[in-house]
Amino acid sequence: MKLNKLLVVTLFLGLFFTSCSNDDDNTPQEPKGDYENGILISHEGNFGKGNASVSFVSFDLSTVENNVFNAVNAELLGDTAQSIAFNGDLAYIVLNVSNKIEVVNRYTFESVTTIDTGLNNPRYIAFLNGKGYVTNWGDGTNATDDYVAVIDLATNTLESATISVVEGPEEIIATNTAIYVAHKGGFSQNNKVSVIANTSVSTTITVGDVPNSLQLDNSGNLWVLCGGKPAWTQAETAGQLFKINTSDNSTTSIDFEGMQHPSFLSYDDGKLFYYLGGEVYSMTSSSTALPTTSIISDLTFYNMTVNDGVLYGVDAKDFASNGTLTSYDLSTNTEVNSTTLRIIPAGIYFN
Amino acid sequence: MILRYILLFLFAVGFCSIAQAQLDSIQNLDEVILSDSKLKIYGAGIKIEKLNDSVITKNATSLTSLLSFNSNVYFKENGFGMVSSPSFRGTGASQTAVIWNGININSQLNGQTDFNTVNTNNFGSITIRSGGGSVQYGSGAIGGSIHLNNNLKFYSHFNNSIRLTYGSFNTKTSYISSSYGNSKLSLNVGVASVNSDNDYKYLGTDRVNENGAFENLSINVNMGYFLSEKDILKLYHQSYDGERLFSGTLVAPSNSKYEDNTHRTLLEWNRISGKLSSKLKLVHLFEKFKFFENKTTDIYTFGKVSTWLLNYNLNMRLSNKLQFRTITEVSNFRGGGSSFGDPNRTAFSTTALINHKPNKQFEYNFNIRKDFTSDFKNPLLFSVDGAYTLSKYYTIQFNGSKNFRIPTFNDLYWKPGGNLDLEPEQSYQFDLGHNFRLKSFDFKLNTYYINTKDLIQWRPNSSGIWQPINVAKSLSYGLEIEEQSTLKINKNQHLSFKGRYSYTISENQETKKQLIYVPFHKGNLSVAYSNKAFSMYYQHLFNGEVAIIGDRLEGFNVGNIGIGYLFNKKGKTQYDINFRINNLYNKNYQNVSLRPMPNRNYQILTTIKF
Repeated sequence: MKLNKLLVVTLFLGLFFTSCSNDDDNTPQEPKGDYENGILISHEGNFGKGNASVSFVSFDLSTVENNVFNAVNAELLGDTAQSIAFNGDLAYIVLNVSNKIEVVNRYTFESVTTIDTGLNNPRYIAFLNGKGYVTNWGDGTNATDDYVAVIDLATNTLESATISVVEGPEEIIATNTAIYVAHKGGFSQNNKVSVIANTSVSTTITVGDVPNSLQLDNSGNLWVLCGGKPAWTQAETAGQLFKINTSDNSTTSIDFEGMQHPSFLSYDDGKLFYYLGGEVYSMTSSSTALPTTSIISDLTFYNMTVNDGVLYGVDAKDFASNGTLTSYDLSTNTEVNSTTLRIIPAGIYFN
Repeated sequence: MILRYILLFLFAVGFCSIAQAQLDSIQNLDEVILSDSKLKIYGAGIKIEKLNDSVITKNATSLTSLLSFNSNVYFKENGFGMVSSPSFRGTGASQTAVIWNGININSQLNGQTDFNTVNTNNFGSITIRSGGGSVQYGSGAIGGSIHLNNNLKFYSHFNNSIRLTYGSFNTKTSYISSSYGNSKLSLNVGVASVNSDNDYKYLGTDRVNENGAFENLSINVNMGYFLSEKDILKLYHQSYDGERLFSGTLVAPSNSKYEDNTHRTLLEWNRISGKLSSKLKLVHLFEKFKFFENKTTDIYTFGKVSTWLLNYNLNMRLSNKLQFRTITEVSNFRGGGSSFGDPNRTAFSTTALINHKPNKQFEYNFNIRKDFTSDFKNPLLFSVDGAYTLSKYYTIQFNGSKNFRIPTFNDLYWKPGGNLDLEPEQSYQFDLGHNFRLKSFDFKLNTYYINTKDLIQWRPNSSGIWQPINVAKSLSYGLEIEEQSTLKINKNQHLSFKGRYSYTISENQETKKQLIYVPFHKGNLSVAYSNKAFSMYYQHLFNGEVAIIGDRLEGFNVGNIGIGYLFNKKGKTQYDINFRINNLYNKNYQNVSLRPMPNRNYQILTTIKF
């Protein structure tokens, strides 16, 4: 049973996170499109300015093609690209301020459809059993209208029923049986993870304050990194790393010291990575204590992700000039390559 | 001519008992009492342009469209009627001061005035003062200042006027005013309203401007009364109540609503006694906004500030050539809002102005000011300006000054990010102006230099929270050309022409790049023709390409045309009817990226005076 579950999770992770470049198949394949075998970077662009974009970057960062969506489809992508997720050959680009999802072929970037009704401040999307689940803040100033919208993936249309959830649903992740939603809190701060089975919330788990990132490991654990409440709230709390056992939703946690506010949890090959105060820390997922020394320092990341032993970090600079993407070899913890992208690079995805 | 000059001068210092018979028209009377005499007497070396009643009524919708077509000021407008912020000589919106009857009314919350919340109908004249003016007008007068003035008329009259417009997108404006006066009392009251569906077509698409409707109502009451031959009491009041839906962009819908309220009251006591004249002003300003992210709910965020201000102004004419003025002001600001608790701030400022005219050709001013604020330190400010009349046809003007902009309530107290360690922005500027004046031809050429440091900018800090810091430096320099000519074709026919052009470099000193939303080139021209009671005009605006974040926004040309006829010109009751076409060439243009401006649209304006 456990092995079976492990297998499914592994397969799922394979589908969700890793690139198709690992095909061992030696027979030459028809390329699926110009944007296969590389990194997709979503750029938020400036809030309200409509300059969100997606760049395609080769794994060695030597070639960059900016504004891919615009180039292929001859139209603007939209406002504030919050996230991208893949399902089969399709990429779902969630545009927060445009209140829409652009569905494109992930390899050609040709537009398939646009889902632009029923979304209000959409944030992230995950897929399970033929449905897409989209977290929505509703009105940012309203604490009680937050929901998860459900998309029928067969038609890429929104189902009329939505799933009402507590404030500030942010990252969302699917296991083979359930959907987990981290409630970072939207304009406010929250400390919940909702578990959705089919079309309703089955369990609400209390975690640390401001759960900002989710990762599933190879053992069926969901790791939830909580940043803690920031100082300006005048109720500052330190970060916590929560582990949810997805078989019974039981939790264990490790506290950060003092008033530390970690973010950007990543998982690769049995190791967890996170960002704290301009430095990257790494620990094995079996460790019961947090690392005391960082592996890379002097960073100004706006987001980061680890893939196949390489750490990729984006820097949004001053948010008004072009940002950068930098890669680090985690066997030596040294910088490998760096390249300049567009305005506010924020999401890193492997295609 | 000389008589008129003397009269103007006398009235400028507040001597108001005028012999009305010597003045031949209402036009001249408009200039008789400037509520803000500093504009004239302590500003010889400053470029000042006054827009009078007739120009204001032609462009009666908002201060944005009035100034876009009739000044060198450039505007960034988030779609028609939406938030509009000026850029004066390459500086930003919070570096342009708006002065109401001598009082700086820029918002204490964001340091700016939204030029689409000022209904121009309420003012007798609007003056554009180019260049630094912090010594006289306080924080934010860096690029220049816009002066909204109400005039009091002390002669026997009782005039009423009703002005109505109806136009495309169901846009309706009305202005009803009444003015009464005699040699002791002057009273005028006006009520102005605007409302519009504002659902114009986005050219080149099948969409319209959704969620763009707006309406506002403003009331103004202005009164002056001679308590004695030496004492005059003045009261100015204005209330404004506006509601706007905020339209979205081409790629982002919007469902939001914005309500704002302002009340301004100024009570002034002038005393003129021989060589001394004094003014004591008590001012109350109130501003409040409510922002509804979703117009269908009653959840909103808000901000408000109540300001009390006491100002004492003493002018001494030491001789015909030399006068001296001191201004002392104490003010208290109390704020409140969703994002910053209930801060309050007290400020004190003291100013000295000297005006010297060594001879008929030359006049100069030297002014200094120091502010003391409860939250931060302020620099010592100064300005020097002068004018030298080389000949009947040519005057040279110069001015140099140090100016400042204080951190706003948002900058200091916003949660999260508000930074109590901020200091005021500081700016040095220099301006050289050449004025050529022929019989029916006026030409002005100004070159300027503005160097600003400690510019306050919001940037994300190490914890990812946006925070304002004194970080940037900018350098602006450029030139402005203004030309005005009138031609009397014959007894009945007049032709007038006005043209303006500005070339602006405004660079971020870190990146050496032109600041976003500052066009290198901006120009406008207007041509007006009249034949007896018939008149027509054409206005044109050229706005050059601007840099925007990560991209460029192309420039545009727009033109408006209007015709008018005045019935019963000589009679007591006059009717005026005007027809106007805006965006004559149906140009698809954007003032701010992804926010299209209206397609060709029409307006009918009628005025009845009785």
